[in-house]
Parts: sequence; C-alpha cells; structure tokens
Amino acid sequence: MTEHGAAAPKAAETPPPVGPSGQFLKDHGISTQPLPDSAGCETAEIEGKDLATAIRLLRSSSEIALDFLVTVSGVDSQDTFDSVYHLQSYSNKNELVLKVRIKKADIEAGKLPSVPSIANLWPTANWHERETYDLVGIRYTGHPYLRRLLNTWDWDGYPLRRDYKQPVDALNDKNPHSFR
Amino acid sequence: MVSELQSSSSLKTDEMIINMGPQHPATHGVLRLIVTLDGEIVRHVEPVIGHLHRGQEWQGQNRTWFQYQALIDRVDYLSGMFTSWALSRAAEKIDGCVVPERAEWLRVIVSEMNRITSHLLWLGTYLIDLGAMFGFPFYPFREREKLFTLFEEVAGQRMMFNYIRIGGVQRDPKPDWFKKLEAFTKDFPDRVDEYEAIVTENPIFLKRTKGVGILTKAMAKDYGVTGPCLRCSGVNYDLRRFKPYSVYDKLKFDVPYFDKDGDTNDRYIARIKEMRESNNILKQCLDMIPQGEIMAKKQIAGLRVKAGEGFEAVESPRGVLGCYIISNGSDKPFRFRWRNPSFSNLSCLPELLIGHPIADVMAIFGSIDVIIPDVDR
Repeated sequence: MTEHGAAAPKAAETPPPVGPSGQFLKDHGISTQPLPDSAGCETAEIEGKDLATAIRLLRSSSEIALDFLVTVSGVDSQDTFDSVYHLQSYSNKNELVLKVRIKKADIEAGKLPSVPSIANLWPTANWHERETYDLVGIRYTGHPYLRRLLNTWDWDGYPLRRDYKQPVDALNDKNPHSFR
Repeated sequence: MVSELQSSSSLKTDEMIINMGPQHPATHGVLRLIVTLDGEIVRHVEPVIGHLHRGQEWQGQNRTWFQYQALIDRVDYLSGMFTSWALSRAAEKIDGCVVPERAEWLRVIVSEMNRITSHLLWLGTYLIDLGAMFGFPFYPFREREKLFTLFEEVAGQRMMFNYIRIGGVQRDPKPDWFKKLEAFTKDFPDRVDEYEAIVTENPIFLKRTKGVGILTKAMAKDYGVTGPCLRCSGVNYDLRRFKPYSVYDKLKFDVPYFDKDGDTNDRYIARIKEMRESNNILKQCLDMIPQGEIMAKKQIAGLRVKAGEGFEAVESPRGVLGCYIISNGSDKPFRFRWRNPSFSNLSCLPELLIGHPIADVMAIFGSIDVIIPDVDR
C-alpha cells in the first residue's frame, strides 16, 4: 500500500530571493534559507534552535504581524522529516511558511526526530503538535502534554511515515501491547 | 453536633471527576469530555478526541487523486462542498489549471446553499442541546430538505456530493433547477423570520445564552479560532471578504461582525444573519451567472497534478478550511494535510468552560458548532 520509493518532489535548481519576512528575520539576526513554492507563497527553512525566537518576533512585530497560526504539519520527505508552520495574519495579507528540517541520517537509531515546541507561546500549536507527534512521529521537546491525540495511546508506529505498516489485524485488536 | 453539620465550612468537600460521552446525545458525533467538578462548577476539562478518526490524511496519500476526490466530502459531512472546494483550489493552484467562469459561479451557488443547510442543522440541534426537544428542530429541517432535493438533482447525492472537482464542476444544472432555486430564495427570508419569531426573543433562550461562554478576542486569536465564533469576538476576518477568491469580489454581501467579546447569543445571531446573507448571494448569482464551459480538466481515473506544493483555504460555515498538498507529479499525492476549523475551535473549549455550571457545558459546546468528523478526520 504505502510505497517506500515514492519520490519526493525535486527542489528547483536556483533558490528564490529572500522575501519580506525572511528579510525581517535577517535584520533581527536570524538566518533563513528561502525555498521554492509553486503556490507563490513565501517559504523559508529555519534552524530548530531559532524557531521560538523567530515565531515570537514575527507574531509581535507590527508591520509583519503574522498572528494567525493556520496549521502545524509534519512531512516525511525523502531524506528529512519536516515540521511545517503555516503563518498568516488577521490584519494584513502576509503569508509565510516556515520549515524545520531534520535529516534522517542525523537521527539516532530508535529515537524520534526532535523539534522545539512552540505550544507554550502559542496555544494553537498545542493540539497541532500532538497530532503531528501522533501521526508522523516528530517529538516536540518542551511540549506540556505530548501524547497521542487521534489514535489510541497504545497504537504501534506512526501512520503517515513512508515505512509504516498497518497492523495485521487492527480492527480485532491483536496488538500485543494492548491491555484492552 | 447539629450546628457543626450545618456550617458548610466544616463539611468535607471534594472535586468530582465525571465522564461525559463518548456517546452523548448532544455531542453530534463521538466526543468524550473528562470534566472535573466542584459542586456544579466546572474546574477542568480534558477533551478526548479521535473516536471518529478515519485516517483521512493516510487515505489521501495512498489513493489516486481521482479516488480521493470522492472521499473528501466525509471530512466535514455537513459542508461537503467546502472540503471539495478546498482540495480543488489547492490542486488547481499547483497545477496552474484555470477554472471556467461558469464553474466558479456554480461553485459559489452550491457552496452558499451548503452554508445554509449547515447553519440550519446547527440551529435545529442547538435548540435540542438547550432542551427544546419537541417541535422546533423540524422547522429548519423543512428548508434543509428542500435544498437537499436540489443537491440531489444536480450532484446525484444529498450529502456526499463529489460535485466540485479539480478543474471545475461535474454537471451543469438544467434551467428548471435555477427556477426552483429562485423560488426557494424568495421564500427563505420569511422562513428565517419564522425561526427568529420562535427563538430570538424567547426568555428561556435568552437566559440560557446571554453572557454565557464569553470568548475574548485575545483567546480567539491565541487558539486560531475562525469562522462566526471569531467574528463575534471582534476580529473581522472572513476569507470571502479579506482575500476574495473565486467570484466573491463581484458580489455584494455583508459579513456579520460584533466588535466585542462575543457570548453564545452573539454566535446565534451571527449565524442567522449569515443565512440571510447567503440567500442574498444566491439571488445575485442567479442573475449574474454566465453561460459557458464547466470543466477544464478531464475527469479520468489517471488524473494527475503537476509536481509542487501549496496551501489553499476557503471560508467554510465553521471557519478557515484549508488543504496543504505536496504533489510529486504521480497519480497519488505525496502528502496531504487538512486544516480543519473545528479542530482549532474545539481546542479552546477547555478554557471556555472553566467556571461555568455543568448545565452550560452543552450550551457552550453547541454554540461553537463543532463537527466531530471534521476534528478527527
């Protein structure tokens, strides 16, 4: 069912120029890497350690004012795990997509990729991060209550990963770790 | 001894933990709330969601575009047109496909009809939540049924339409259909007056809703609340007006908005007004709709979308319904992500309920109009 070899879309050869939000972050000493986006929305890659500071700056600045966190999603790409933040504004038409990328090669065996949590600064992120942890298996460090949200607490594996295998008999509960 | 028992300070009081649901008549779906009570007052709430999790995102990336198009009406089953529309808009943006003008107008017509049916169902069930068990819920269902007959005629289904497709819409309605819709739009404002005559000034209704479940502006922004709930809390944010998509920039309509911290009653008034506005939009569309093509992309089993990624959103009856797609150019999407309004709206519920008596739990929960399949996907 799940194709192991499903190819991730290829990145364009030349990166696009830095957008207004990227420039704003650069002025405040946070470096970002612009990424191509076919829908025309500004997209940038950011280091995990800078994420909380960047989000706080973008949200509180009066000219950028990205104060609407639309969604936090996790993506199992070819050789990275991405945590994607869609930011918009209630008062202007700015849009920004921030991506934190964790290389699969850097993750220790048996460990989950970890990204700093922003749930403490932004309550919207609380459930979105829990859902991403549940479905993609990204550990958000510093999250106040990181446990599975949509699946049962004793579910095996992370369903939206490329290498996920469905339980043989999930419906009739043959999960060996279950106490039910 | 007697006096000792009578003074309440010496009585041993303790908090009580109560389980509400998952099977509860007022949750319209399966939501479990673990409520901590101090007497009758709610002190802490933990919603347990996921009872209706169907793995919609997993299905999205393991089915072809064409197969998945037919499934997505189930994400939010009361407003299926909007889920189809969000998917179509995201896919069209990535694909660079231009939708014919008549199709855009038809999309607006069916979506506004769908907004009315969704709000009508909310109105009926909300009155049940408040205890008006007999009679009233069937008034809105009467109009809803008329619209469903029209949906059935054009899409072949009453609720799971699969009508809005990538590249356009599926069928062109007959001229007769527009006449029936016109008759409905003439009738409908009187019917709304009828509901308002029963509900709006009703003293029991006012007692149950005024000043209950106050959602402040800061809280609504913090939790990413959208839709009528947000507009009642002092943020005038409606995608149809704020970032006009499709043909909404050619239409004249008001967005109901309250510049204060909205309570349950405000949310009721906003939805009633929204129904009237949708009716106005329908009237304008019927006058302005042009003739022409309705589909720009061949609907075949091997439907493909160009490689790329993008996020697009529409304003559904519950708020911003968005769709984030990564496509690698094959017949299946690489990653599919739904941004559901109910999910974010529900996450503010624990904070909203604290300090209210347990009898208000369902009054507040009902007023934010959450659809559980939309939360759990």
